[in-house]
Amino acid sequence: MSLTLQQLQAHLGGLVFAPPEPAAAAAGPPTSPERSSPPESEAVPSSAATAPEPDGVRLVDYASRGVHLEVRTPASQVVAAAELLDREGFALDAVTGVDWIAQGEMEVIYDYFHPTAPWRVAVRSRIPRDHPQVPTISAVFPGANWHERETHDFFGIRFLGHPDLTPLLLPEDADFHPLKKDFAV
Amino acid sequence: MTTEEIMAVAQGKAPNETFVLNLGPQHPATHGVLRVKLTMDGEYITRAEPVPGYIHRMQEKMGENRTWAQYLPNTSRIDYLSAMAYTHGYVGAVERAAGIQVPPRAEYVRVITSELNRISSHLVWFGAFLLDLGGFTPLLYAFDDREKILDLLEGITGSRLTYSYYRFGGLYNDVDEDFLGGTREFVAQMRPRLGMYRTLVTENIILRKRLEGIGVITPEQCRKYGATGPVIRGSGIAYDVRKVEPYSVYADFEFDIPVFPEGDSMARYLVRMEEMGQSLRIIEQALAKLPDGPVMAEKVPRVLKPPAGDYCYAVEAARGRFAVLVVSDNKEMAYRIKLRTPSFSNLSLFEEVSQGMMLPDALALMGSLDLVIPDIDR
Amino acid sequence: METKAACSQDCSEIVKFAVLDDLLALGRANSLWPLTFGLACCAIEMMAAGASRFDLSRFGAEVFRPSPRQADVMIVAGTINKKMAPAVKTLYDQMLEPKWVIAMGNCAISGGPFVYPGQYAVVEGVDKLFPVDVYIPGCPPRPEALIEGILALEEKLTGKRRWPRVKPE
Repeated sequence: MSLTLQQLQAHLGGLVFAPPEPAAAAAGPPTSPERSSPPESEAVPSSAATAPEPDGVRLVDYASRGVHLEVRTPASQVVAAAELLDREGFALDAVTGVDWIAQGEMEVIYDYFHPTAPWRVAVRSRIPRDHPQVPTISAVFPGANWHERETHDFFGIRFLGHPDLTPLLLPEDADFHPLKKDFAV
Repeated sequence: MTTEEIMAVAQGKAPNETFVLNLGPQHPATHGVLRVKLTMDGEYITRAEPVPGYIHRMQEKMGENRTWAQYLPNTSRIDYLSAMAYTHGYVGAVERAAGIQVPPRAEYVRVITSELNRISSHLVWFGAFLLDLGGFTPLLYAFDDREKILDLLEGITGSRLTYSYYRFGGLYNDVDEDFLGGTREFVAQMRPRLGMYRTLVTENIILRKRLEGIGVITPEQCRKYGATGPVIRGSGIAYDVRKVEPYSVYADFEFDIPVFPEGDSMARYLVRMEEMGQSLRIIEQALAKLPDGPVMAEKVPRVLKPPAGDYCYAVEAARGRFAVLVVSDNKEMAYRIKLRTPSFSNLSLFEEVSQGMMLPDALALMGSLDLVIPDIDR
Repeated sequence: METKAACSQDCSEIVKFAVLDDLLALGRANSLWPLTFGLACCAIEMMAAGASRFDLSRFGAEVFRPSPRQADVMIVAGTINKKMAPAVKTLYDQMLEPKWVIAMGNCAISGGPFVYPGQYAVVEGVDKLFPVDVYIPGCPPRPEALIEGILALEEKLTGKRRWPRVKPE
């Protein structure tokens, strides 16, 4: 496997990212170096700790986070990121969502692993919570078909261009999305 | 049918009709509650659409409604045949999040118990797979061997199937001489049993005719669908999380990754049979090198509140790559737990691979994928 | 406690054959044919009970039938889901009289470990769908517990317990 982590980071840097917000106080430049490991047992207020980082490609400390590279992109770039990783020979690990209700956003996380090299890449994208939609990557990775159906089941995120976004794990006539934070039976 | 239609059928001029056959959710060969909607052209499958969800038990939502420690029993029940590895994945993710160091003796015992669990999972697969193909006897032999493993694990964990043995920071119970001596005896008597399985079952001409060339999965399909475990190793790619992303103390052991290039059901079968032998090797080495010391880390808080952020941990379960993504917001319950399970990705390629296959061959393919349905539905 | 043998409906209410009923009950009890209805983890312990060490065939119950038309007793081993519930009810309806139900494991008894406030997918116990004759608690119950459950069902059918009770020491 000839690709190094730095080369991969450079390739991913070719994606189009949103410019960093001027008001983002703790943000660094898009390709910032190694992230430090999480703090020790101090209580961190959740809103500050889970505030999104600005877009870009970041090297991450694998031993403390389990990923090598983290890419934050706008929703329009997830297909380009998937195509790039497909060309580099990555495989799709999972597609999932997180409901950040406090910030009015949902996050779609695409996890990739490589069958021969030990690199793990996570592509994350934040979308508005009241109208969550993101283009499908099932044309690039057919395995994403089921992952996206499951994410739609749980969060209601619409994957534009998906051939068949019917419930996968919930009953066929289900109209609820149980993993949303405001879900009640 | 009108007279013209009947005459057309009799003269062989009628267009081919397909019919829809429902396989499951209650079916002896689906290994759980899986429904497959088969569109059949006679004996051949034109489309096989798996419909999971009949054993969806809200495992991911329960992660948000249980404290970190209360979630431990759930992890055993995701894939109950490989329960140790699944608990390992979850416990590893939380230890990564909270920065807890596990003492070496606990790591070695985790490896020994995970590998024993892997052998017992492969034995259940072996018995059930042969049962699908029509042979009842190997099930009885396999379950007999499995009972010996279950006796060993019951002695230290108290449970036969769903163990919940690991805790954050180590184990809750140390191993005793009974377990260590019993495991050495088991390894000694299991090797000849594997040889017996080879002569009685693997070299059986009926099994070879049923499996060779059936259900070929290409390496590119494995990559596109994210298939892992014996499925990808049976297609020629040496991907094993224990070697590619070594976790726990697997880097200390010498073992091979059995890889077969053909990609058919026989290759996946052989991968699992060889893996049992490799697991015995790992257990022997771990028993020889087992260090003394505590089995639980010091100063693990009773109510765990890992720092905010997201953390991922992957293990090689019996069925493939199991990864836990944990999103914490510094509370006593997780904010989000995502379980990446191997059977989900392994089954997703069934629709593409089974096109044009005969139904019994498709069942052989499904058995060789080694699915556990609660692993798919979570 | 006396338990009467299970009779079939209609004319048997008017005409009773004492010894023949007992004989029929004995025959039914000693050759219960379970339906292969393993849903989740308890299914593995059910398979272990049918396998070599615990050997259900000593009690006549090793013939697991996949078809509900051929089965006497439905051993519900595992969690019932709201998506699965109609299928379970259909299977129960398809079984022929006389039929019995054993709820094996905590999930079949009351939803098991998957019940939490606000849960959306699990049916809390198979007795919400149809009547159950024997409850076997455990998560999963040991194969010996399943055998004890089958012996309890035999006792319910015949009025007598075939195997002596093992007293704890």
